[in-house]
Amino acid sequence: MLPVLTGSLPYLLKGAVVTLTLSAAVVGLGTLLGVALGILATTRSRLAGSFVTGYIFVLRGIPVLVVMFLGYYAFPAFGLRVSAYAAVGLAQIVYVGAFVAEITRSAILAVPAGQIAAARSLGMRRAAILSQVILPQAARIAIPPLLNSALTAVKQTSYASVVGVWELTYAAREVVERTLAAFQIFLGVMAIYFLICYPLSLAARWSERRLAFAH
Amino acid sequence: MDYAAQTAVFLLAQFPKLSAGFLITLALSVATIPLALALGLVLLAPRMAKSALARGATMGYVDLMRNTPLLVQIYLIYFGLPVLGFFPSEFSCGVAGIALQHGAFLVETYRAGIEAVSDRQREAARALGMGRLKALRLVILPQALMRILGPLGNQLIVLIKDTSLVSAIGVMELTMTGKVIIERSAASAEIFVAVGLFYLVLTSVVGAAFRLVEHRVAERM
Amino acid sequence: MVVSAPMIDVRNLRKSYGTLEVLKDVTFGVGKGEVVVVLGPSGSGKSTLLRCINHLEDYEGGEIRIDGVTAGYKIGSNGRRAHSEAVNARLREQVGMVFQSFNLFPHRTALENVMMGPVHVRRVPRAEARELARGLLAKVGLAAKADQYPAKLSGGQQQRVAIARALAMQPKVMLFDEVTSALDPELVGEVLRVIRQLAQEGMTMIIVTHEIHFARDVADRIIFMDNGVIVEEGAPEHILANASSDRLRLFLRRFQGDYLAT
Repeated sequence: MLPVLTGSLPYLLKGAVVTLTLSAAVVGLGTLLGVALGILATTRSRLAGSFVTGYIFVLRGIPVLVVMFLGYYAFPAFGLRVSAYAAVGLAQIVYVGAFVAEITRSAILAVPAGQIAAARSLGMRRAAILSQVILPQAARIAIPPLLNSALTAVKQTSYASVVGVWELTYAAREVVERTLAAFQIFLGVMAIYFLICYPLSLAARWSERRLAFAH
Repeated sequence: MDYAAQTAVFLLAQFPKLSAGFLITLALSVATIPLALALGLVLLAPRMAKSALARGATMGYVDLMRNTPLLVQIYLIYFGLPVLGFFPSEFSCGVAGIALQHGAFLVETYRAGIEAVSDRQREAARALGMGRLKALRLVILPQALMRILGPLGNQLIVLIKDTSLVSAIGVMELTMTGKVIIERSAASAEIFVAVGLFYLVLTSVVGAAFRLVEHRVAERM
Repeated sequence: MVVSAPMIDVRNLRKSYGTLEVLKDVTFGVGKGEVVVVLGPSGSGKSTLLRCINHLEDYEGGEIRIDGVTAGYKIGSNGRRAHSEAVNARLREQVGMVFQSFNLFPHRTALENVMMGPVHVRRVPRAEARELARGLLAKVGLAAKADQYPAKLSGGQQQRVAIARALAMQPKVMLFDEVTSALDPELVGEVLRVIRQLAQEGMTMIIVTHEIHFARDVADRIIFMDNGVIVEEGAPEHILANASSDRLRLFLRRFQGDYLAT
């Protein structure tokens, strides 16, 4: 039953491991970068605000694949020898950062202004207001879209194969080009991605329901 | 400054090729968007049906599309159909793959728009004596349409960006063009900056167009 | 009643939002322990006035002094310079404010809300702050609700917690901005009771409200504002019984129906 798939499974699972590590790095570092940028965007500095707005606008308007190609070719252009894996990974981190920055910024702005007025009227300074009032509430608002963004990022790691990075999708295409067992392999790979992504998807849906609280 | 001038000259020379690729990207988008919109509509009825089987099947399809990468879906179509004896063009494979995925997302967008129209509106319509179908047509759908415009615009912009994936199966759209240029000439990363600019202009125009329509519709209401 | 130097001294206050002038040359004072009620129709500038006093808003002209110290700006011979946010924050430690929409922190319990100021501004140790907070919640009649989240409390209860929260900073002055306007009628009384008690204890207060009966009971002085200016000012019995301006008469009629007849 499904001889090609079972035969190639060890090879594909190695690819899956690469996909998992790449996803973890991209989601982790991309989210950190994005949250930092999002908070930066809400400070009083107009320069910071414009920078982040521009960053978000440009990166959201371009396909992630183009950003990956840019990353892949940019390092050699500066004379740096970086592995394809690292170059494309970094590119994707920059990309995810833009989306997370927008999510963070919206979440912070969604905290009702009245609460900030109340905190200020108690004599709280900006740092305390941010850590005690804004971020705890913004975090709750941001979690569902952040989980969705993570889900998207995991799927987008597959695009790295187009730029020449070896991971699950690259491995799958290799096997299919050799064996022509397209249905077995690609459906099998879809199943593997499904197993990786579905928990994230469920978490996103659960969080949307649970974390919506009425003020 | 010599570098800047050199790069500018080079990029300008590539403009015709990039424009050709851009046109293919446009063609992909124009071909895919109606198909995706239609697929979403077709799936809407079973998605909101009373029958748990219909709903379950549709939700299963949506979940499958949501949790697997579009690239793999495109590969499945491109590599799989020949095995069955069909030999569609790369362009068609790309269109099919993208339409199948985005149709699934659009079902959810449509559904959210309809459900967002408050129940009170439904009650009000019924209280005025409208039957279910009339209420749907005159009260619910117009409001749902207005709510949909924002998410719909965003979704279509994602679709346009996703057309870049068909470069993986050899369609000479904008991204593939950039890749070919860089492989055939001594060009460097700058070519992808130009590619990015083309996409940026396209997505910005589409985004602005949607915001304009949203504004006009909101004014009318 | 009124002592020598006013606790709050507002002089020639001018404030605009863009081209719209909201406060046009407002001048008045509030003595220590005095309760001043500000009445007026919506858009008269009452809320803006309060927000200028604790510098939640800046303003274009005039001077505000709290307990003798000029607030918000450093006014010198050649103009004025705005205080930094840090200095303004310190000012706000001394001026407590309660809002129409309560603005409790929904992710903290009632007790934690009241502790917020002492712990994060005064740097009081948590155990001490907790005792202080419990005492204040008991004072407003909500000792039993200390561990409840705001979502579980009624409007009147939330507003009383908000009052306790402001009091936790031991302010010199309390500002009340239409604190009962968003409440269901049955819940208004419990909040007014707390405010009345504070007045009896000698807190300096400026209260913006629509509750005219309450104003007559609690105010040492009433100020009527309309369109950014103070139209009338005086003792409650005098103003409410013999309103001299037409605008005040109109206002009273709208809010109290047959009040003038009583």
